[in-house]
Amino acid sequence: MIKKSEVKKIFKKGIYTENPVFVQVIGICSALAVTNLMMNSLIMGIALSFVTAFSCLTVSLLKSYTPKHIRMMVQVLIISSFVIIVDIYLKAYMPNMSKSLGPYVGLIITNCIIMGRAEGFAQANPPILSFLDGIASGLGYTLVLLMISSIREILGFGTVFGFQILPETITKWTLMVMPPSAFFILACIMWVTNNRRLKLERKGVEKR
Amino acid sequence: MKNSLYYPILFMIAVTVVFIAILASINYMLTDTIAFNQESELRQKILYIFDVLPENDDPQEIKRAFDEKIKQKTINDIEVYTLIENNQEAAYAVPINGPGLWGSINAYIGLNKDFTKIIGIEFITQSETPGLGGRISEDIYKNQFRNIDIEGAADGNYIISSPQPGSNVDAIAGATQTSSAVVKMINEDLNTFFESTGVR
Repeated sequence: MIKKSEVKKIFKKGIYTENPVFVQVIGICSALAVTNLMMNSLIMGIALSFVTAFSCLTVSLLKSYTPKHIRMMVQVLIISSFVIIVDIYLKAYMPNMSKSLGPYVGLIITNCIIMGRAEGFAQANPPILSFLDGIASGLGYTLVLLMISSIREILGFGTVFGFQILPETITKWTLMVMPPSAFFILACIMWVTNNRRLKLERKGVEKR
Repeated sequence: MKNSLYYPILFMIAVTVVFIAILASINYMLTDTIAFNQESELRQKILYIFDVLPENDDPQEIKRAFDEKIKQKTINDIEVYTLIENNQEAAYAVPINGPGLWGSINAYIGLNKDFTKIIGIEFITQSETPGLGGRISEDIYKNQFRNIDIEGAADGNYIISSPQPGSNVDAIAGATQTSSAVVKMINEDLNTFFESTGVR
């Protein structure tokens, strides 16, 4: 049986202490590219979580049958299959979203988070735990994306998920809509959270 | 057994076959939906050129409006869309294309019944710089092409882009090449169209 504490640890690692974007600094490319609108970030996050979770599940299920020296090939095959499923699904049922995410859906394949989790966790852990680990990492990624995109969308468009929250007369900050702003915001968020993490670590408050 | 020569090959083939089968069946099931979505996009764009878009952008609604108002027609080997109003041809959408800054631009341009006015434009495919040349796909640029009188145009220069004298369309700041590419392709292709069909 899966222990509750283990699940809790996985989620804490994926979302906070080993957050893929803040701490491991992987998956940045798409984090910068699709964060101009919150809706885009949310869909991207869900897509990535789906792919990571199911890829890890499959990799873990097949791990005892997979010869070690071809495991990377098998992993890439599995990951790309799930990415193509997501791509087809978006094209069929969410054509507008598929258009605004553009090539970044296909590029989930190259997202290091998935390969990292498959290689680093799923290869050595039971299927259900690997699945949860995939979800946790995806969730960590999604939360960071939403954080960045909320700042960009509010300052750039004055909206949240497309709903107007700032008065219409507000001067829109064009830079926020453009890619460079993602760099600044991501760096600031990373700075704040890492500062906090290091401080806690120094105090010895954090228990692993 | 795992380290034998054949096991990895067989394993890889088996895994590939399984995943390809899954993907192929999903693709097969959804091909029609995806094709419909893509057609729907083209329909929406053609309706936009004639400025007769239905109020909501539900794909079924667009298909109905399209089937009701638009007909495809060949004028002298050129496939055009015609707007039907009161059982008569009221306007035409003529395909135009040409090189942009990064890739080719495909578009349709709307002309009124007697080919004396440009009534709209819509870009089907373009790969211009997002935020600069890519803004040709924004309404603020496209709406400049509503109702341009081309009857008195000299030397086949139907569209003249600012800052030249007598301009009727504003170019996009920071995207001079894209703007002139669009103007050039409109003028050239309209000339070819008028000459080959002899409609004017």
